[in-house]
Amino acid sequence: MTARTVLRNEWRLLMADRALRVVLGLFAVLLVYALANGVVWMRFQARTVEAVQAGNVERTRAIAEELAAIENGAEPASRFADPRAPNVLGGPRGSHTAVLEPGPLTALAVGQSDLLPYYYDVNIYTNESSFQQNGEVENPLNLMVGRFDLAFVVIYLLPLLVLAVSFNVLSEEREQGTLALTLSQPVSARRVVAAKLSFRALLVVGMVLAVSLLGILVTGGFSSPGRVLLWCATVVAYALFWFVLAAWVNSLRRSSAWNATVLVGAWLVLVVVLPAAINIASGLLHPLPSRVQMVTAQREASNEAVNRRSELLARYLEDHPEMAGGVVAEEPGLGALAWAATDAVNRRLEEVTSEHDARRAEQIALVRRYRFLSPALLAQEVLIDAAGTGDARFAGFQSQVRAFAEQWREFFVPAILASEQMDASVLPDLPRFRLEDEEGADVARRAGVPLTVLGALLVLAGVGAGVGLGRVRGAD
Amino acid sequence: MNTPESRHPAELGNGRAPLLEARGLSKNYGATRALDSLDLAIAPGEVYCLLGPNGAGKTTTINLFLGFVAPTSGQAFIAGLDVSAHDRETKQRIAYIPEQVMLYRNLSGLENLEYFAALGGKGALTPGRLTDILVEAGLERSAVDQRVSEYSKGMRQKVGIAIAIAKEADALLLDEPTSGLDPQASNEFSELIERLKNRGVAVLMATHDLFRAKETGTRVGIMRYGRLVTELGTEEIGHADLERIYLKHMHD
Ligand SMILES: Nc1ncnc2c1ncn2[C@@H]1O[C@H](COP(=O)(O)OP(=O)(O)O)[C@@H](O)[C@H]1O
Ligand SMILES: [Mg+2]
Repeated sequence: MTARTVLRNEWRLLMADRALRVVLGLFAVLLVYALANGVVWMRFQARTVEAVQAGNVERTRAIAEELAAIENGAEPASRFADPRAPNVLGGPRGSHTAVLEPGPLTALAVGQSDLLPYYYDVNIYTNESSFQQNGEVENPLNLMVGRFDLAFVVIYLLPLLVLAVSFNVLSEEREQGTLALTLSQPVSARRVVAAKLSFRALLVVGMVLAVSLLGILVTGGFSSPGRVLLWCATVVAYALFWFVLAAWVNSLRRSSAWNATVLVGAWLVLVVVLPAAINIASGLLHPLPSRVQMVTAQREASNEAVNRRSELLARYLEDHPEMAGGVVAEEPGLGALAWAATDAVNRRLEEVTSEHDARRAEQIALVRRYRFLSPALLAQEVLIDAAGTGDARFAGFQSQVRAFAEQWREFFVPAILASEQMDASVLPDLPRFRLEDEEGADVARRAGVPLTVLGALLVLAGVGAGVGLGRVRGAD
Repeated sequence: MNTPESRHPAELGNGRAPLLEARGLSKNYGATRALDSLDLAIAPGEVYCLLGPNGAGKTTTINLFLGFVAPTSGQAFIAGLDVSAHDRETKQRIAYIPEQVMLYRNLSGLENLEYFAALGGKGALTPGRLTDILVEAGLERSAVDQRVSEYSKGMRQKVGIAIAIAKEADALLLDEPTSGLDPQASNEFSELIERLKNRGVAVLMATHDLFRAKETGTRVGIMRYGRLVTELGTEEIGHADLERIYLKHMHD
């Protein structure tokens, strides 16, 4: 009864308040703009994926054509690109591109998808330097802010809108004098504030969810209902956190100006300062080895390797008897020697990278530990993960590409070592990349902890607000 | 258990069970004794005027009846229910008109009445009926749909009365409701109080205005330093007497 009465009154107040309507309208425009941004990016990514996959088909077709022609007596187009040579068929000319399809809700949260590669050309020369093109952006703000997409609006701007419509939910009633009349009625401040905030939450969250669902509809994300649900739940929990925080601050019975200051301060600390500080700290405490180190290592290793190819090959054959396929050439061919040098460089790169990766892992561990301090970090993590544009999905993709590259080498290297030629009969057996994409259950499992902590923060603020509002009796 | 049966009948205004009653009601703000052992009983159809200078404890008394502040000791009863223990039930039966009735400025008088009446449990009243109530409270019919930001103070006080009428409150708590009103508006306000009194409403009104207290009140109580120093029936005395008695108490 009270709730319905308050809701109707709130509606009338909204209708009579031009400034508030303008703010809400502006926010709606921002939401739609952010969504359009995301949709454009997702379409671009989908087109790229399509083109890359067409490239795979086209390369295979061209090679099959040439192999057939050679079989019929034609000369290879170039002596250095003879498709029968395993280091050509398995090299850049015959390379296979491994592709990660756009995450189902990429249009809502571009996330890491415009920072991390979503396709790799895999061939026998694929090594760690191929994977280190990830371009970790050294400026943490870049990592954090990213594109102007819905996730950005939700994480950064939604709290501001929530605070704009709720920072004075109770203090305004006191300052304009209506609180005395209200509390002389048989209602509690808690119920009235809860009803007032419910109305505003319905409005604000409704807007965000409506635009989200629109984006999901337009880009076909409803085929992943679990992700949609996770997205919506996170938006709701995050928005409610800010509403409840505003209720709590209001329950302290200070002025509207005081409330505004404290709440904007909270936004600044929780959304901007803490995440930036955590990122900066992780960079300072666990600095990444410079990329120059990797380039230098690669150059030095190749210079050295070129001059020690025979020795390297002998060692390689010792280490990889399976690659020799039982056939060890008496007089190793040029291809085999070259491969030995390539492999030596790869080993050296792996050493350098593992150091890099260890530091990176330490950084991530630090960020993960302290993300509990900021509801913004928690919500962002889940939103991006739900969208399928989070770190975990990219890491999964990358590790599968690594395994695929290994598989690719195993297919070609024995022939390289044995200086054998290949023909069209191997084409149907060429390794093909098939992504084992993460399941909804994986995403849900990863969301468990951050969502629980976000929920706990919500409950904490809720208890504070409940207790505080319970103490509000009179109008002073 | 909370029914005040133990009272001396002489203390009751017109012999009927009191709607508003204070027993040993006291309130300290830190070292300030804002209200000191107030005993008071106001029966249906009585208008009790609290007189006293600023800081005498009038507002504190009203806030205690409203449950806006908790008593340091003693109890306030409304219709026999202890205010501290029965917040909702007691508020269901009272209406409150502060010195300034503050309403939602962007809404009309009717919309304000609709809201506060609904909060008071009268959500079923139709706009037509609520308009009649506003008119009964003295508002021009043409003003009913105007935004409150265009209202004078007198008009806002009338909306306050309308809320009380719509709620069918048994008791009315008024805190200097006419201060700042012009004599005409003040008179109209007193007539409304008179009408509610005749319907059996118990009224507790804090005021500075001796003349108004004598006109509207059935009894007056004079307060000073948080104590009720004397209580008089308005029938027994003239205007001049009241003024003399008041001033005498102020200069002790
Ligand atoms: N919230 C408060 N905090 C501290 N002192 C108060 C408060 N409210 C009232 N007082 C003090 O209590 C006394 C009685 O005040 P009040 O009841 O407002 O008097 P009146 O309404 O008769 O002018 C005054 O001395 C006043 O300063
Ligand atoms: Mg006062």
